[in-house]
Amino acid sequence: MRAINRRTALAITAAAAAAAAGVGAGAMTGTGMSAAGREAELAPAAWADFAARFVAADGRVVDTGNAGISHSEGQGYGMLLAAAARDRAAFRRLWDWTRSQLMVRPDGLVAWKWEPGKGVTDPNNATDGDVLIAWALLRAGELWPDSGLREPGVTLTRAVARHLVVRHAGLTLPLPGMEGFRKGTAVVVNPSYLVFPAFRAMAAADPDGPWQELVTSGLVLLAKARFSQWQLPPDWAQVEADGTVTLPDGFRKQFGYDAIRVPLYLAWGGLRDPYYFRPYGALTARFAGGPVPATVSLPGGTTAQVAASSGMLAVHRLAARLASTGANVTVPPGATGEDYYSTVLLLLTRLAERSLGFAP
Amino acid sequence: MTRPLFPALIPAAAAALLAAAFPSQAAAQATPRALAPGVEVEVDSPGAPVPGRIDETALRYYARIGDVARLEAEIARLKAIDPLWDPPADLFAPQAQPSGVDETPFWERLSAGRIAEARAAIAEQRVRTPGWQPSARLLEELDLAEATRRVRDASEANRWSEVVEAAAAEPRVLTCARLDTLWRTAEAYGRLGRTEDAFALYRTAVTTCPRAAERRDTLFKASAHLPPERVRDLAELGATANPAEGEDYAAVRGALAELEVGRTLARLGARGAEPAAADLARAEAAVLERRDADGALALGWFHQNRRRFAQALEWFGRANEWEPGERAAEGLVLAYAGLNRRAEALEAARPWRGTSRRVDQAVRAVERPAGTGGPAAPRGPSPLDRALAARDWSGCLDLIEAERRANRFTAALAQQRGWCLMELDRPTEAEAAFAQALALAPSAPPAERRRLTEGAEYGALQARLRQDDATGVVRDLPTSQLSEAQRRDLRAGALASQALRAYEEQRHRDALRLLDARRELEAEPRGLTLMRGWSLYALGRQNEALAVFEALDRRLSTADTREAVSVARRAIYRGE
Repeated sequence: MRAINRRTALAITAAAAAAAAGVGAGAMTGTGMSAAGREAELAPAAWADFAARFVAADGRVVDTGNAGISHSEGQGYGMLLAAAARDRAAFRRLWDWTRSQLMVRPDGLVAWKWEPGKGVTDPNNATDGDVLIAWALLRAGELWPDSGLREPGVTLTRAVARHLVVRHAGLTLPLPGMEGFRKGTAVVVNPSYLVFPAFRAMAAADPDGPWQELVTSGLVLLAKARFSQWQLPPDWAQVEADGTVTLPDGFRKQFGYDAIRVPLYLAWGGLRDPYYFRPYGALTARFAGGPVPATVSLPGGTTAQVAASSGMLAVHRLAARLASTGANVTVPPGATGEDYYSTVLLLLTRLAERSLGFAP
Repeated sequence: MTRPLFPALIPAAAAALLAAAFPSQAAAQATPRALAPGVEVEVDSPGAPVPGRIDETALRYYARIGDVARLEAEIARLKAIDPLWDPPADLFAPQAQPSGVDETPFWERLSAGRIAEARAAIAEQRVRTPGWQPSARLLEELDLAEATRRVRDASEANRWSEVVEAAAAEPRVLTCARLDTLWRTAEAYGRLGRTEDAFALYRTAVTTCPRAAERRDTLFKASAHLPPERVRDLAELGATANPAEGEDYAAVRGALAELEVGRTLARLGARGAEPAAADLARAEAAVLERRDADGALALGWFHQNRRRFAQALEWFGRANEWEPGERAAEGLVLAYAGLNRRAEALEAARPWRGTSRRVDQAVRAVERPAGTGGPAAPRGPSPLDRALAARDWSGCLDLIEAERRANRFTAALAQQRGWCLMELDRPTEAEAAFAQALALAPSAPPAERRRLTEGAEYGALQARLRQDDATGVVRDLPTSQLSEAQRRDLRAGALASQALRAYEEQRHRDALRLLDARRELEAEPRGLTLMRGWSLYALGRQNEALAVFEALDRRLSTADTREAVSVARRAIYRGE
């Protein structure tokens, strides 16, 4: 009895220490991370399965749910997972393909969309892609100091800061892309582009950058961007000049495939305040025992018939745990038939849980 | 909070509303135990309270920043939780931070209404200090503040089911401590037709709020959403239930009487209305007592429509004396005409000829065009003129509809239709009618085009103002083709509407700024001056507030001004 108590206590302390270490600049190079560096965060089998199903031999990540196209976000996720699995060769292939195929812009940012047989079909960037790739490069530079991967990570980090971070209505926010997200005096943002754990890593690599402000403003935005009786964040939000947050016209007004990543990135960033997780906990508690809806229209709160994928459920399970609502979310096991996006969410959630000291 | 009336258009009614809206704030200092800085607090030194039993976080925060009003409210709240509890003796002594985290920055953000920032700061603090938990009281206040804001935002946007939903998710906001939220939720129930739910909430207010002014204001609010007999039930409850010491609930019954007079006056305009003689007498007495120009106009039309021109003349005359204006002049013209005193009718119209649409219309209805002896025989007023003179607005719509069916629709008729819809308080349709008038204007005779275009544009903007789109009106004014007078008129209306909104949201500095801007354009009506006084009062500028109230009271002393003067005097005397 006494031994079990001690172990529980120790586990909590360790998790708390890891979370605390995640704050300041330099944290990513702190003891917590280098200790983790010795041991892969992602099991080799899980990575091998992902690579076999979604990564082509040349290092291109294939979005099987989207007609086999590729995008900067997929490359970023692939690189993060390869680093987590300590697969240096795969990481190199993914990065080489990304650099040669997508980094065609003069400003150093990454073109977001690539189609088989056509190459880049939309040169605009998608900021979460840039952020994920930069973060993965910084992480790889840490794991393999002799690889020369840190420098392009720092360069991309600075390019994001220079071109994509805006001050608006007293907030520091990421523009979702270079083109098309300013509407008169308002700015359209994507709450799921607030990749908090990446911002922390970027703060360490670029101490003079706006990264801590992005974290603070991101939290303010998420406290404001709550809609419907569920109080869920939207896939797309519009921040008016006076700081009010509305749902932009011309974008689907819903909590859906984008915004499901909001609680994932919060948790992974060590931001565990239950307030930010209660909406998901409430949603899954309401649908306990049946399928959880994949999307919720906002601001009306109507839920879709389509059920959440395994990956989305994995995020919901994590969120419910942090919200302490007591809701029990079941994630279907052994989902080999899952598409690219669902699989990514499953694996990323596993990484986030691990960073929080949660048992898988 | 409901905003059913538009101050610039109906100043007397707005004044009543404002007076009704304010005293709940004004009365805040009327609690028996003053806790002003430097004043001894009643605390029991012996018998130390059991620590940890009551969450004193907020209490200590308010004590530290010296927010007396909130401190008192918090003491009352904690006493309600535990009657045996007493404020700690060391309330004003500096406290060590037991948890190692100073909550002051979060409370500061919360007090400033920056709730999202408070949430964000807490989330970041939890990363920095993993073992730390914000106090339960802080979290509760944040939840309540968020729910309050959700209710307010949804109610401002007329999303009634969302109001109900937000309140249901956090029923703790439905208490007397958050009366505005309770009112807004009750209004939402009313708008959704859930009268009994609305009644239940109003009942909570009139039976649990200790202050008479709060109960009285609740009655005014409820009257817009409940049938008269339910309002009477509320008044009965409010006048008797759970009396607090030192409060005089006569004001509750007074409010009921005022409402019933208001209803009698409102019903006078309806077709075929014949109020009971006693009701009418009471209404007439009340109008005389209050020197209520709007009430006098209503009585004037009541008699005019029954061809009792002499009595109508009397009431229109009073209205014109108390508050000279085109509407009183219009009544005078028609009443004189009814008495065949044409010269006096024209004399009454004189100051308004050419500047008032109403008065010009009235004159057209009484003037017989001089026959020139030519083929055009003298024409009397058209049926439409007569309908307008009789203020028969539905008749106006019917006649214009007949013209439209006969393919005789013109820009002028479309515009007239807009004004009749405005009289019926259907501004959305009126706006459409003015848009139609604007579209038809190019096909009018060249000489009339400009006048018709201007009139339609002016009407459309007035209609939008009535729909609370003050911001939009101000934005569109510079590009409109209106005369300087029309612009000034619209700008003043928009400023009044914005000032009222600022006042309701307790942005008192903004309210004053907007009122000042408005006063540059037009003289300030009574209701707005009263609001100016209460804004000054809320900002702690008691001497200026008192000066405003006293000036109002000297010009015309009413219950509102007398109460305002006495509240401001008390505050100054007590040094608050």
